[in-house]
Amino acid sequence: MPTLFKALAELGEKLEATKKRLLMVDLVSSFLQNLEAEEIEPAVSMMLGRPFPKWSQRTLEVSWATLHSVILRITGSDWSSFLKVFNETGDVGSATMAIFEKSKSRKQVVLFEKALTITEVRRSFEAISETSGQGSRGKKERQIAVLLGSASPLEAKYLVKIFIGETRTGFHEGLMEQAVAKAFQIPLELVQKASMIIGDIGEVASIAKTQGKEALAAVKFRVFRPVDLMLAQMANDAAEALREHGGVSAFEYKYDGARVQIHKHKDDVKIFSRRLTEATGSLPEIAEEVKANVAAEEVILEGEVVAVDQEGHPIPFQHLMRRFRRVHAVEDMAEEVPLKLYLFDILYLNGESLVSHPYTKRRQVLAENAGEIPLTTMRLIDDLQEADRFLKEALDAGHEGLMAKKPDSLYAVGVRGKRWLKIKPVLEPLDLVIVGAEQGYGRRFNWLSDYYLAARDSETGEFLTVGKTFKGLTDAEIVEMTRRLKEITVGEKPRRVNVIPKIVVEVVYNEIQKSPKYRCGMALRFARITRIRDDKTPEQADTIQRVREIYERQFLKKGRYKAG
Amino acid sequence: MFKLKVSDAKLLRDMITSISILVDEATFKLDPEGMKLRAMDPSRVAMVDFEWPKTVFEEYQCTEPAKMCINITELLKLLKRAGKDEIVELSLDYKTGKLQVKITGKYTRNFTMPTLEASEEEVPTPKLAFNVKAKVTTTGLSQAIEDAQLVSDHVRIEADNEKLAFNASGDLMGAEISIQKGSDTILDLEVKEPAKATFSLSYLTEIIKAATATSDIATLEFSSDMPVKLDFQQAKEGKLTFYLAPRIETE
Repeated sequence: MPTLFKALAELGEKLEATKKRLLMVDLVSSFLQNLEAEEIEPAVSMMLGRPFPKWSQRTLEVSWATLHSVILRITGSDWSSFLKVFNETGDVGSATMAIFEKSKSRKQVVLFEKALTITEVRRSFEAISETSGQGSRGKKERQIAVLLGSASPLEAKYLVKIFIGETRTGFHEGLMEQAVAKAFQIPLELVQKASMIIGDIGEVASIAKTQGKEALAAVKFRVFRPVDLMLAQMANDAAEALREHGGVSAFEYKYDGARVQIHKHKDDVKIFSRRLTEATGSLPEIAEEVKANVAAEEVILEGEVVAVDQEGHPIPFQHLMRRFRRVHAVEDMAEEVPLKLYLFDILYLNGESLVSHPYTKRRQVLAENAGEIPLTTMRLIDDLQEADRFLKEALDAGHEGLMAKKPDSLYAVGVRGKRWLKIKPVLEPLDLVIVGAEQGYGRRFNWLSDYYLAARDSETGEFLTVGKTFKGLTDAEIVEMTRRLKEITVGEKPRRVNVIPKIVVEVVYNEIQKSPKYRCGMALRFARITRIRDDKTPEQADTIQRVREIYERQFLKKGRYKAG
Repeated sequence: MFKLKVSDAKLLRDMITSISILVDEATFKLDPEGMKLRAMDPSRVAMVDFEWPKTVFEEYQCTEPAKMCINITELLKLLKRAGKDEIVELSLDYKTGKLQVKITGKYTRNFTMPTLEASEEEVPTPKLAFNVKAKVTTTGLSQAIEDAQLVSDHVRIEADNEKLAFNASGDLMGAEISIQKGSDTILDLEVKEPAKATFSLSYLTEIIKAATATSDIATLEFSSDMPVKLDFQQAKEGKLTFYLAPRIETE
């Protein structure tokens, strides 16, 4: 029996209604047990707010502007009534449900009812993602209208959540791993390991159901399927790194560049960005360089791509991002902004996973396989003074600071921990998410030029405003930002909009102050946007907990200063 | 192989236009007796049931039954290049899957277009019992629908033993169009019991406009809050029938 999408939506309601994690895991695990084998991956992906498995490069490419115009059209409502319900609930999905319910009184019926199944929904998503090119917007709108048109208000709520990519049920990937383990009676550890290797819990669940524990234990990395990155935490200084890493650390230059994961199979090379989307097309010379230098048949490498001037000196990050965004006339751009690749890690080589080898061993294997491609400048240092000198050297060379990696640490897929630390000398910039904007004054009267910046609350998933700024962007960037914000606008007041948290910016500031102005009780002083982080998702932005930590730290310093 | 020839391009064009209202891609069933199509619009609100027996064509040849899925919008673009009395020939090469569109008149044009993967979905005929059957002229029907469209995006069709009525109410304006039995527009009116149903004008207008080009007489069949069946009588033995689901209005 095919499972109805309605069942998934009802499960979502139950999850939303509780905060008890054990209960959530229970609910999802029994739901998973009742699914048909081919429904498992789609259902797991959808429950996590994804139309497709995580590794998939497919995207729906549906803007909020398109989505909301379809919602308004099929419900016969207008913008202001949508806004009204949106302001009551603060959730696009719930607002959609409310407005669907309201419009029930006048409903276009269909000739043949067809219940929406999970498989059917996935098929519709696939069709929508395959629609591209000339005239595709109209066709996409029709496809979305058909899908939403056959949905009940509750189903519409969850379809819209998947469209915009956030479920807000509080059921995250970690809990999904527990549910999968429970549903198919497989040790949690094994599920987590397989998920890390395959890069998608949905597929793990599917293997668990159809092939069982042994198959799950035997999964391997697959070339061209990006692996979640190991991430670094911030350290205050080299001393902290040495302390954390037991007296000796592998220090290396932290380049002001973009991290890339490079996959190679024979003559095929694919490059994935930090967000694990493919960027091969924008970086053809990097792909060529890898092809020419790396002899290994199958390999997954990691490195940093840096934009350089004609003499090879690093230039600001924004130029690099122009390269990543470029799809047309890539060659012209490649000439204008040359890139340099530095490799620093290797995860997989000719059928063998290297993630459980120590970092120093991986560097060694990397050096043997990199050909002429330079590795990041790295030194094993056990002396604080030497480490500080190395940091100064890195900064003098125009780099951001240092990375410090625990020499014997394994590659922890998708984990941000202390085994990798980043050391940047200043009050560290924060990556914040734009949640609203206001139109400016004077020359900027018609532009959204004043931005509300928010940090994510890692406990609730909410975005909390911590500051506001109109500084840092060029006029051209403001025009472009205005256009992008308008596409994700969900609430509008005169001269002010609320937007879906999507766009991440790096923000520098003088200090974090205590402030009653925002709900989180803190505010950034003299905030200024230093760059647009299109390489980061809102989930990868800094948390409110992180902001509080920095705030506390400043406070302590001040305290000591007074005392001294 | 499959091949057909019509001496009046307009006939083919009007027919394809009626289909294009509901679908972008259409899967025709071809067999030695003629061609058929049954297709539902993607939102499942309306469907078209179309049949052209071989007698409609000057020449018709189909060696073995096949399905042919084509992009209707693209085909229409090609057919629009043909003048009123020009000859159109369609031929499908089963091996290559290419459809050839040859237009002959003042000069000869030979277009080729790809066929697409045929849809496997079989569209059933709605099983419906109708209380009202009204035979009307398509000109009269078009007029009534055009009147209604001035004030609203939907129309309520009502019938009793005396008349057929069209009721439209928009946000500000309203319209009541009533056609008495015995008028020039109504050729026949059979009412088992009075009925009314509301339909979206965006569908109805397009369907009637396109089908009127192919037909002078339409038969409307409906019951309260049920789909309407609109059959447009064809000159030869062809068939062009539409079904349209209603809008349900509850207070």
